[in-house]
Amino acid sequence: MSQPDTTTPNEGNRTDDRGLTTTAGESREEGRAEWTDYSFAGASKLSVEDLEVHYGDDHALKGVSMDIPEESVTALIGPSGCGKSTFLRCLNRMNDRIRAARVDGTVELDGEDVYRDGVDLVELRKRVGMVFQAPNPFPKSIRENIAYGPRKHGDVRTGLLARLTGRDDSEEEEQLVEQSLRQAALWDEVKDRLDDNALGLSGGQQQRLCIARCLAVGPEVILMDEPASALDPVATSKIEDLIEALAQDYTVVVVTHNMQQAARISDQTAVFLTGGELVEYDDTETIFEDPESQRVEDYVSGKFG
Amino acid sequence: MATESRNALVRDERTGYERLAAATVGLSGVLFAVALAALLEIVRITDPVAGIPMVAVLGGLVTLSGVAVIGFGLASRRGRIATVPQESAGIVAAVAFTGLWFCAGGLVASQTLGLSGPLWLVPAVAAGAVAFAGTALPREDIGSTAPAGAVAVLVGLSLLTGFIGSNWSWPLGGFNATLFADVVVPFLVMTSALVTGWAAAKTYGGYGARGRHVGAYVLIYLVVLAILGVLVGLIMFVVLKGAPGLFRGFGLLTDGALVRWPFLTNGAGLLADVKGIFPAIVGTVWLVVGAVLVAVPTGVGAAVFLAEYAEQGRFTQVVEVATNGLWSTPSIVFGLFGAAFLIPRFGNQKSIIAGQLTLGFMLLPLVLITSREALLAVPDEYRDASAALGVSKWQTIRSVVLPAAIPGVTTGVILGVGRIAGETAPILLTTGGGVLPAKGSAAAVLGSFQLSASPPFVSNPALLDASSALPYQLFALITAGLGGVPNPEQFAWGVALTLLLVVLSFYAIGIATRYYFRRKLHQ
Repeated sequence: MSQPDTTTPNEGNRTDDRGLTTTAGESREEGRAEWTDYSFAGASKLSVEDLEVHYGDDHALKGVSMDIPEESVTALIGPSGCGKSTFLRCLNRMNDRIRAARVDGTVELDGEDVYRDGVDLVELRKRVGMVFQAPNPFPKSIRENIAYGPRKHGDVRTGLLARLTGRDDSEEEEQLVEQSLRQAALWDEVKDRLDDNALGLSGGQQQRLCIARCLAVGPEVILMDEPASALDPVATSKIEDLIEALAQDYTVVVVTHNMQQAARISDQTAVFLTGGELVEYDDTETIFEDPESQRVEDYVSGKFG
Repeated sequence: MATESRNALVRDERTGYERLAAATVGLSGVLFAVALAALLEIVRITDPVAGIPMVAVLGGLVTLSGVAVIGFGLASRRGRIATVPQESAGIVAAVAFTGLWFCAGGLVASQTLGLSGPLWLVPAVAAGAVAFAGTALPREDIGSTAPAGAVAVLVGLSLLTGFIGSNWSWPLGGFNATLFADVVVPFLVMTSALVTGWAAAKTYGGYGARGRHVGAYVLIYLVVLAILGVLVGLIMFVVLKGAPGLFRGFGLLTDGALVRWPFLTNGAGLLADVKGIFPAIVGTVWLVVGAVLVAVPTGVGAAVFLAEYAEQGRFTQVVEVATNGLWSTPSIVFGLFGAAFLIPRFGNQKSIIAGQLTLGFMLLPLVLITSREALLAVPDEYRDASAALGVSKWQTIRSVVLPAAIPGVTTGVILGVGRIAGETAPILLTTGGGVLPAKGSAAAVLGSFQLSASPPFVSNPALLDASSALPYQLFALITAGLGGVPNPEQFAWGVALTLLLVVLSFYAIGIATRYYFRRKLHQ
């Protein structure tokens, strides 16, 4: 590490006297509120306020606040273990599935706190979809993978009972499958084998299938957790193109450890650094060309991390 | 060897000695197979081959393979053939040959030389020590061929010279038993074929790492051959013994029916021309069907609770220990439970339903254990993906997790059915009817459902009657009732073969089910 010692205040100082550490030179805590105070023109889709996450005794996320604008790509970057995936999983409450996790603070989706009592997780996750690091299609046919969410939510009715009662939605389902696959730029590759097992697709195709499966539920926000890190460069570039196209209609939040990828695809970038803190959040261009924090500059120029 | 251990990168495929070594491996394999066949009484060692007694032929071939193996070792040691032996054949081979030669020395000393008392130990220990030194001390090519070849030559010569002939026998003093040549000769031939095959295979590989690999390969294949031989032999034995009884009166296109198979379709009533076991087959089928219907829903349900809902911890550990214990509980204990607890609650007499429940309780733990393992083996990514789509936990389990676990669950049911279909003790105590039931006493479960206006609305008297079952009938025939049928031994073997076939067909159904679902999941 090339940065001077003074920029990393010791642990004791920081926790005792939160936000008021005064060491010589740059103090992270002093500038942080300013650096993360990102203002944008459009409406805000997700608004996070003082988000804290503990895994048991482990303090994974420390007082993160940020507003995510709608219909854009927001990249979350940072070294391993900095809390960017944890942050992402808070946005659709996937952290609820981890028993040891405790979440404090608020996450507002269109002004409504998703951590309030009485929030319908089904509805939340329908509106905030998620794509995972490793492609994880179900061991079912391509068609069944896409139709899985809508079928389980009762949005399309198929099967014997539906046919007997005359409310069969097979045609709607067919259209939904085609539309979702087209949106995910997969239709032309799989249209002749919709009934084949999805596990027979290549890794990149599987990941686009997972995106299509997510789109079929009709989300407003799509969270992606390093969606291309398990893929080869060609598949990665397809996913990147897809993400940029999706930003026309959806709010996309992408976690990535690949800074070039963040620079290529995102409109704004949030930098998390070790310790679970959001250090800087701004237009992607600003973050990569002229960041305010010295540590962020070191990180994006590849001096550490 | 610390200096340079490089070999040619490309080996010429077939040199002369490699052909010879391969032929010796082949000869050992054939000898092993013939000896195995003789052990299973498929061929007899007393039969002559081209006018020469089989024992002598075997002896000659064993000697030949032994001499060949010793020759390979010498040729390699003198540098006549291109091999890359290591410094020693290794401690494992040395210990194995020590054991072999210890036995050989001891047997020769006590039986041939007639040394009395503990004196036989002296030649035994000496032979073992020589074998150890001869294996461990010389270079690998001598160490792994000479002791092996010597075993084969010793065995071969004693067979060839008629020292151990087809009429040879050895009364074992302390055991009140006698070993005859038809067991001892195949056993000796198998042992020497195993060691010469191994040594020749090592020569074929040129000793060293590759030689050891090839040697181990041949050993493993010969052992697998032996295991398959035992399995096939056992089934063949039952088939050959049981076929006459099973096919008694069998005919195609007679009496206007497509097949006439009295053994399977008749009872053992007084008027039946050919006595059959129809009631027992029906009984076994209903018992298994009932047990599966009891055990699969409860077992899978409990497994879903344990794998998906219960917190992994002390409670699940206790349940695991309890189910394992339940699976290893002796069947007679289950039978006693059924007799003491179930029978008084179901009409106070032995009945099919008591047997079904008892066998179901026996099947339950295995279904539970295997289903739980299968559910835990389903990747968490599926659950995450489903949760991220907003699908509830139960719907996820039903639509994604359970279908992915079906092949594993089916495996458990297959194994369990194989066990309970052949159980005798619980049936004896809870279900068993007459020893030789007439056709009319076959359980007509499907035809006896009765509806009534008052609870429990459905009743089935056939389920509350006693019934025979295949293992029970076999047991009863052997212990008590060999007098009721004209040719009792043939009849009993026919029952045994039928039981085997019924169990195998349950297996076949299970395996087909598993195959179907695996294909559906993975294609």
